Amino acid sequence: MKSHMKKQSFITRITNPKYIMVYATIGIFFVIYGFGAFLYGDKGFTTIRTFVNLFIDNAYFGISAVGMTMVLITGGIDLSVGAVASLTGMFIAYGTSVLNLHPLVCIFAALVMGVGLGLLMGCVIHYLNVPPFITTLTGMFFARGVCSLISRESIDIKHPFIDSLASWKIYLMKYSEGSWVKIKPIAFINFNVILFIIMIIIGTYILQKTRFGRNIYAIGGNEQSASLMGLPVGRTKVLVYGFNGLCSVLAGISYALYVKSGWNLSLQGGELEVITCAVIGGTLLTGGVGYMIGTLFGVLLKSVIPALITFNGNLLSWWGKIATGLLLLLFICIQRFVVTSSSKRK
Amino acid sequence: MSEKNILEMQKISISFPGVKALDKVNFSLREGEIHSLLGENGAGKSTLIKCLTGVNQKDEGKILLDGNEIQPSGPHEAMELGISTVFQEVNLCPNLSVAENIFVGRQPMKRGGIDWKEINSRAYELMSRFHLDIDVTRPLSYYSTAIQQMTSIARAVDVKAKILILDEPTSSLDENEVQLLFDVMRDLKAQGMGIIFITHFLDQIYAVSDRMTILRNGHLVGTFDINELTKFELVTKMVGKDMDVIFNLQRAKVFKDADYMLKAEHIGDISHINDISINLKKGELIGFAGLLGSGRTETAEMLFGATRAVKGDIFIDGQKTQIRNPFDAINADIAFCPEDRKRDGIIGDLSIRENIMLAVQSRKGFMKPMTKAEQTELADKYIKLLKIATPDCEKKAGELSGGNQQKVILARWMADNPKVLILDEPTRGIDIGAKAEIQRLMLEMCTEGVSVIFISSELDEIIRCSNRIVIMRDREKVAEIDGENCTQQDILKIIAEGAA
Repeated sequence: MKSHMKKQSFITRITNPKYIMVYATIGIFFVIYGFGAFLYGDKGFTTIRTFVNLFIDNAYFGISAVGMTMVLITGGIDLSVGAVASLTGMFIAYGTSVLNLHPLVCIFAALVMGVGLGLLMGCVIHYLNVPPFITTLTGMFFARGVCSLISRESIDIKHPFIDSLASWKIYLMKYSEGSWVKIKPIAFINFNVILFIIMIIIGTYILQKTRFGRNIYAIGGNEQSASLMGLPVGRTKVLVYGFNGLCSVLAGISYALYVKSGWNLSLQGGELEVITCAVIGGTLLTGGVGYMIGTLFGVLLKSVIPALITFNGNLLSWWGKIATGLLLLLFICIQRFVVTSSSKRK
Repeated sequence: MSEKNILEMQKISISFPGVKALDKVNFSLREGEIHSLLGENGAGKSTLIKCLTGVNQKDEGKILLDGNEIQPSGPHEAMELGISTVFQEVNLCPNLSVAENIFVGRQPMKRGGIDWKEINSRAYELMSRFHLDIDVTRPLSYYSTAIQQMTSIARAVDVKAKILILDEPTSSLDENEVQLLFDVMRDLKAQGMGIIFITHFLDQIYAVSDRMTILRNGHLVGTFDINELTKFELVTKMVGKDMDVIFNLQRAKVFKDADYMLKAEHIGDISHINDISINLKKGELIGFAGLLGSGRTETAEMLFGATRAVKGDIFIDGQKTQIRNPFDAINADIAFCPEDRKRDGIIGDLSIRENIMLAVQSRKGFMKPMTKAEQTELADKYIKLLKIATPDCEKKAGELSGGNQQKVILARWMADNPKVLILDEPTRGIDIGAKAEIQRLMLEMCTEGVSVIFISSELDEIIRCSNRIVIMRDREKVAEIDGENCTQQDILKIIAEGAA
């Protein structure tokens, strides 16, 4: 077959309206980052170290946001991610410190628990037709309850495997005067950052390059149409919640490496932070629209605000919450605008 | 067109609780044929299609595809057998690109991932076969309904369909878009595809069809070559004969010099109705006749402000009145009983009393609530007046029969003392006795000076009640005739042939 497809110009390709939200996120990130660079450039805001720290301090949110993005694209929501991540931490802490298990065994158990709970919630949502909000709220209470059953005290994680994994890092180097030297100020990436980046890549691959991923978009666009088009709606939805469970557990591992303890009340409200990351990353809460690259910048955007406040030094950290709230509001308004203006063309 | 049948449906019967939806209906489709399926609402067209696509299971009969018996269990299996359906509402995903909508679920793969280049170029090729030169990578929602419709046809065609079912694909298209669709249909026909075409627009049937099959009340009226029937004969066969039940009703008396209660001059909204004028005298009943989709409901909704008229003037009681939304209309004493009472009219979870007092209360404003005693008095008055069959006014409206629900809606608006009452298919789906009752009530209101617009698909009841009859066709008013001296034949003739 001969193709008559006209070569699309680069301009038409990148001005495709479906990318508006992602552009908005990336644009606003660079505006705020540039603002910080202008104000605190002399204090070291523009260093690679500051930039890399954005990843290090928020990797666990980012890992969870990968799964959350998929759930939101189907038009669902998952409120259980914070509690499941916290429970993962409890598994590792209690397992290594009290039961003297190897952390990998604990992680395996946590994976079975997280993915299983995700799949179960997916089944309840699809087959019993219970709204995702209610189902995952139940999942959240369940996981949080099990956390407290295990222990109501914070448990420190002391295990050589965890210690070595947490302290493992790659220093960023530069080539100068014939040899590789560490850049100054010293910057490094750790296991969490690598896991975050890998999850973003996996997420992008799933969403853009697999039928499963495209089915996620189709379901979010119009679930009834998707099923009339013969797409496996039920299977896809259940698997998405299962995958999100996996992401929650990975986020929990990442958080455990970050704080090296398990606490039954850790990451309370974490699910909302994760949803915020996805939404300011351009994912539509009504489903059907969202990109992993947007979520990546959503995480960076959400974490650059506290960084700014730290550099300022005079502002209370609560201003960060207020700024995040305003940002979220802004993005929801942009979304509303994009949705109404694109449907007006009909 | 060959004589070979690719599809044969033999003696299909389907029953739903209380209704025989299809009764031993035969249907056949030839290779390379466009076959229209006709009938008024409830005739069984969609049931037949649903049976063919496996949505509804038949009780009796056989479906033969290329001579082999098939029994599809759902649309997906039917699609795999080569039966594709394009529905009236576009059943695609608005957020996905045009190209992806065509290929989702069966995307070509390359090196472990979806081959987007292939998808986009093949989609572009398909759409250009339909003479559409568009950017297929843009989201579907970016394009007009016509292009969306073409996209669903492209999807249906690309799965190598033998049979394409088009269920009212033209109802949201404009004239040029319809022609474009027809070109595509003729193209596909030339390639040997069998097409089942369902539409309410008679001209379109004659424009593209080879044969037509007419259904009425679940029975097969017959299959005819397109030249075999005139439009007039076709409409007669679709609508059927007079109801032989005798209604003893008196037409409303309108005084010659009565004032005009409602005058609408050249009103129109952009999308549905272009230009229509209606004059309604005090105490007069005007019937709106016409097939489904002829613009009756759209006109009524415009008069009530449910869709906004963007041009023309409306005069109520001689006063020029702006009607921008239903609130304005209610303030101008216009009441409207919509077509689908379950969806738009009755609130099933509220009691009869609450349903009746709604309109009165909303006019009084929520700052001045009616006491329960007042409400009960009001409700009881109308229950008695309209003979609503219920033990008391606290019964939930949703538990009443269709006819009684209709009476509750009537009571709601009667209690509000409207000057103009618009009733859209008030007698649909209720039994003969209740029909006569509703008609009697309408006429009683006319004698009290209320002006009524009565929309119905049943010509006999229009003729029985109306002082004047407005006949609509293809979203235009084609004639206005005197109600007293006309027959069904006259109206059918106008509906079939256009202006008198």
